[in-house]
Amino acid sequence: MHVRLLDSTPFRISILLGALFLTSTMVAGIFAWRLTAAELSLRLDDSIREEAQVIGQTYGDTDLTDLRDSVLSHVDATVGHRRVYLLRSSAGEVLAGNIPRANVPVGWSLVDGAMLGLASGTSYRVFSSAVDGNPLLVGASLQENDAVSQVLLNSLLLAGGLLSASVVALGAFFAFRGQRRLVEITTAMRRVGQGDLTARVPVSRRQDDIDRVAQQVNVAIERLATLVEGMRQVTVDIAHDLKTPLNRLAITVREAGTMAEGTEIEAMLAVAEEEIDDVSRTFDALLRIAQVEAGSRRSRFAAVDLTGILRQMGELYGDVAEGRGQQVTVDVSTDFLRIRGDRELLTQMFANLVENALKHGGENAKIAIGATAATGPAVVEISDNGPGIPEDEREAVFRRFYRVERSRTTPGTGLGLSLVKAIADLHGASLSLQDNYPGLRVVITFPMGSAS
Amino acid sequence: MQTFGSASQLRFLIIEDDERTANYIRNGMAELGHFAEFLSDGRDGLMRAVSEPYDAIVLDRMLPGLDGMSIVKALRATQHDTPVLFLTAIAGLDDRVEGLEAGGDDYLVKPFAFSELMARLSALARRPPTRAEKTTLVVADLELDLVKRTCNRAGQQIELLPREFALLEYLMRNEGRIVTKTMLLERVWDFHFDPETSVVETQISRLRAKIDRRFEKPLLQTLRNIGYTLNAR
Repeated sequence: MHVRLLDSTPFRISILLGALFLTSTMVAGIFAWRLTAAELSLRLDDSIREEAQVIGQTYGDTDLTDLRDSVLSHVDATVGHRRVYLLRSSAGEVLAGNIPRANVPVGWSLVDGAMLGLASGTSYRVFSSAVDGNPLLVGASLQENDAVSQVLLNSLLLAGGLLSASVVALGAFFAFRGQRRLVEITTAMRRVGQGDLTARVPVSRRQDDIDRVAQQVNVAIERLATLVEGMRQVTVDIAHDLKTPLNRLAITVREAGTMAEGTEIEAMLAVAEEEIDDVSRTFDALLRIAQVEAGSRRSRFAAVDLTGILRQMGELYGDVAEGRGQQVTVDVSTDFLRIRGDRELLTQMFANLVENALKHGGENAKIAIGATAATGPAVVEISDNGPGIPEDEREAVFRRFYRVERSRTTPGTGLGLSLVKAIADLHGASLSLQDNYPGLRVVITFPMGSAS
Repeated sequence: MQTFGSASQLRFLIIEDDERTANYIRNGMAELGHFAEFLSDGRDGLMRAVSEPYDAIVLDRMLPGLDGMSIVKALRATQHDTPVLFLTAIAGLDDRVEGLEAGGDDYLVKPFAFSELMARLSALARRPPTRAEKTTLVVADLELDLVKRTCNRAGQQIELLPREFALLEYLMRNEGRIVTKTMLLERVWDFHFDPETSVVETQISRLRAKIDRRFEKPLLQTLRNIGYTLNAR
């Protein structure tokens, strides 16, 4: 059972849901990330300002010593250059700090490490002020903040991705399960379509919506099977009850014929026997059409090479035609034309068509049998140069017992083309009658992929 | 009916619920010097079929007691290989295939001509129990080499088309027996329907032109309204 996931409605919905989920998670995540980052930098600024104030408060009148000590103790407390401090005298001399220089304007700024005499690549948030004319710089590396927001971003991305993937996976699971059950229904219906009325859709114990559909489908198939079996039984009964007396009649007529040997009555009885045969033939033909239409024959389909059948038609009917001053030619462009079908019925179909052409094609009829299958479907054409069939009668000729006005006098059951149509339908082939300018052209197109 | 002249007496069992049909067959067989027994019930028929030897059984598909299909299946399941010819009112497609699959050997639809039934029964009954595959068929001075696909009569090479070869092969395999038109259609060309044109007659006349026309004694005979026979006599 081949399941095409992308064609499945639940899977499409789950993909859509997954995408929606991912987008909303991302939008919310980015928003949260931005907020957090802003909050973090706000707090950093507060702590920097606070430190600058704490350091500034240690300044007594004109005594820079306390101020210097304060800066030095802060420098000691920091690890590496997580925090930066620089206290200079009003003359520009470095008094204390953990950076060599600071080319920054007064107030808040965001600078690269190089501006502070450190390795470049790391950003610093610095606050530059002056304590009684002595410039004091307090700053902090943004590395920590950046790392925090990076972790936040990563975890948001990971969570969003994982969630979306699970939504899609879950969707795929349900879609697959749902579709497998739809495929079960499709398979059963296809088997029914092919005439196998024993097909049933499996019903699970979940009693979900698909189960209810499956149950209804099974009820419908059951009913169909009962009807078909009933019809078959009726046909068999009628056949039996009609054929048995017909057979007795035929026996009586034959026995009477033997008794009346050499008399005029014998000839009359021979005519009666012919009539009985005709009735029987018509009856058998009707039964055969009904059986072909019932479709059970599909279960016996096998690989059939059409070119073999067509060549045989050409040979046998070519010989028949020769004796009647007519002609049958075969032009088959390929070596093989394989389809799945019923050899016996296909043989009868082509034979019926060729015989029709021979019967109605006129004295010098030229009948051409052709077949092609370039790349597309197998197409068989049987054409003649006889009188053809008027356009408005081309549909009607497939009806049972319908006979074109002109051919009322030629012998035949009037069932030949009905059987041809039934056999074409059984094979899923389209049958079209066209003008051959002059004559009739019958085109039978077998469905693509019927080859195997 | 003299054409079915009995070289030997054959024993037939007719299991058929229509007495008129059964008597018609039995009388016809008796006239030809054969022995025929008639039973109308399926169960009785099966009992008789397994307890006594017959050359062939004529079996109706629909019977009271036990239907024809079940009888054949029971026979085949118990290693009874007596040839069985199904006689049926139904000219269905599946019926024939199912009948043959169940173990039947031939199939004939009512109404039928007695000559058709007898021709088919003769073909079944006289079938040798083990068919030794011959590579050359010979009837009088006519020879058919099945391996080299050649034919000659009285030392003269005869060119045959494949379809003529197949027809001649079937006729030679049934030398001395009557083969009907429908037998030829079914066995030689796999036609399971009645063509409305003279397919068989045409092929026979073409074959006759090749194997008989230039020779003194004709081998291929037409029996009007019955069939054909290839005969060395």
